[in-house]
Amino acid sequence: MRLHRWRSNDYIRFFLILLLLFFVLFPFFYMVSTALKTEPDQFRSPPVLFPQTPTAANFRQALEPKFIRYCINSFIVTISTTLIVISVSIFSSYAFSRLRFRGRKFLLKIIILTQLFPLIIIIIPIYMIFTKVGLVNTYLSLIIAYLAFTVPVGVWILRGFFKGIPYNLEESAMVDGATPLQAFLLIVLPLARQGISATAVYIFIFTWQEFMFALTFLSGEKMRTLHVGILDFIRQYGVNWGGLMAASTLITIPVFVLFLILQRQFISGLTQGSIKG
Amino acid sequence: MQGNRSKGDATTALFFVMPTMILVCVLVFFPIVKAFIDSLYKSSLILPQPVFMGLGNYGKVLKSEIFWQVLWHSFVWTLVVIFFQFLLGLGSAFLLNRDFPGRNIIRGLIILPWIIPGVIAGMLWNLLYDPQLGMLNRFLYDLNIIQRYVTWLADEKLALFAVIFVAIWKGFPFSALMYMAALQGVNQELLDAATIDGAGRWGQFYYVIVPQISPVIRITLLLTAIWTFNYFEIIYIMTNGGPGNATHIFPTYIYNVSFRQFRFGLASTYAIITFVILLVFSLMYMRELDKRELLD
Repeated sequence: MRLHRWRSNDYIRFFLILLLLFFVLFPFFYMVSTALKTEPDQFRSPPVLFPQTPTAANFRQALEPKFIRYCINSFIVTISTTLIVISVSIFSSYAFSRLRFRGRKFLLKIIILTQLFPLIIIIIPIYMIFTKVGLVNTYLSLIIAYLAFTVPVGVWILRGFFKGIPYNLEESAMVDGATPLQAFLLIVLPLARQGISATAVYIFIFTWQEFMFALTFLSGEKMRTLHVGILDFIRQYGVNWGGLMAASTLITIPVFVLFLILQRQFISGLTQGSIKG
Repeated sequence: MQGNRSKGDATTALFFVMPTMILVCVLVFFPIVKAFIDSLYKSSLILPQPVFMGLGNYGKVLKSEIFWQVLWHSFVWTLVVIFFQFLLGLGSAFLLNRDFPGRNIIRGLIILPWIIPGVIAGMLWNLLYDPQLGMLNRFLYDLNIIQRYVTWLADEKLALFAVIFVAIWKGFPFSALMYMAALQGVNQELLDAATIDGAGRWGQFYYVIVPQISPVIRITLLLTAIWTFNYFEIIYIMTNGGPGNATHIFPTYIYNVSFRQFRFGLASTYAIITFVILLVFSLMYMRELDKRELLD
């Protein structure tokens, strides 16, 4: 009796999971399918599900030198931002997790607040200032703008990881005569390696994804980042769907593989900030 | 000894915290103050010298029809998106909570929409929504649900819901991740005890599971509300606020007023109003963190 009831439940569950997968994955299937379509196939109406004669031509378009250039731009900005964020926020998050000082909670609240307010409000003044000092269209302009919201995120997530390291380790080091700085550098930092890499992964993906600032600050032909650059496939006479979907496929695959490999770090970085302490 | 220690703490803290605080002041607080000052001026391309207006811009904005339209769209967009992200997120967390072969792979696949860039998601759905080339019309036509091909994104009544659907698709995996993590933490002994006391599945759900995960639900709802309210890419890519102004929400409208029309004063006024609205959500979120002692 009981066995039977579970079975029918399992069927429903199985069906619902299939439905969910279809909802999530169908657009991706169509992305890859369009990427493999020849031009006549792309413009067939009603559209066809599968490419009639698969072609790699779209992928060749997506690998043109200018897109490689966009990709390099993205890497330059993302890696620099991540490195700066980590080196600044390591110290601050340590202070927030360990040291007692006046105004700690207040400053912490400000750190959180800066992660939540609308970015649209700072993009206008920063843009006007950068235009005046001639920074627009340099990597530096985008990196500086990114620091505004990635440093607070980094501090907040890292703080959670530092809090997970038992305090008595440093305490005994300090009893043995180490200064707080020494205790931090020699005891805590090596133990926090995993947390630091989780935070770095999170900041990297966060920055890599960003669109609005990249669109505004790096508009020059040679300076565009990848996600702004793929808009080149939108042309005056219409969208080059095959090329665009091929580029999208090429962008999605490494992101997905990276995510599968770093899933644990990424999710711990994510939940660290919002669920755990 | 104690006094000595906290004095040492304070000095170290000062040096450690300073770089972050300087960054925050220069890159966040200064721009907000500057945006407020700009919002007091009238400026445009043909006005070489901005004209001081006092709070005039605010009066103008509150009296304009477009402001109330954008406010209404932002409101509908945020509420509908977070509601369905919550339902779908919690639903998929329950579906994938119990172990079965292939669960990890499915869990990884479900995250996909969330980890792809918004630009790609937007363009992908532009293709699916395309009246002639899109799969959506073909499916619905073949199933006899629609009698003629629909122009999803060019119809003033449909466009907002079309972009809302994409935002739900793109963002629900985050809620699913949060609820999966929360369900892992539900106390199994309490569930067993409830079963012994005769609770059915709904009883278990309502009396045991919901109370335990409700803090995570509150935090997730607030966080997704804030993100959705601020979300720029999907609408910018898919409709850029159109047709007419039918899909403009605050971020896209402000972006257009500033970087297409170059009316930075007016744009700053809108930005400051947005900031005040969001401050309410943000303070609620902060109170939630404080209650859970996450700030100590």
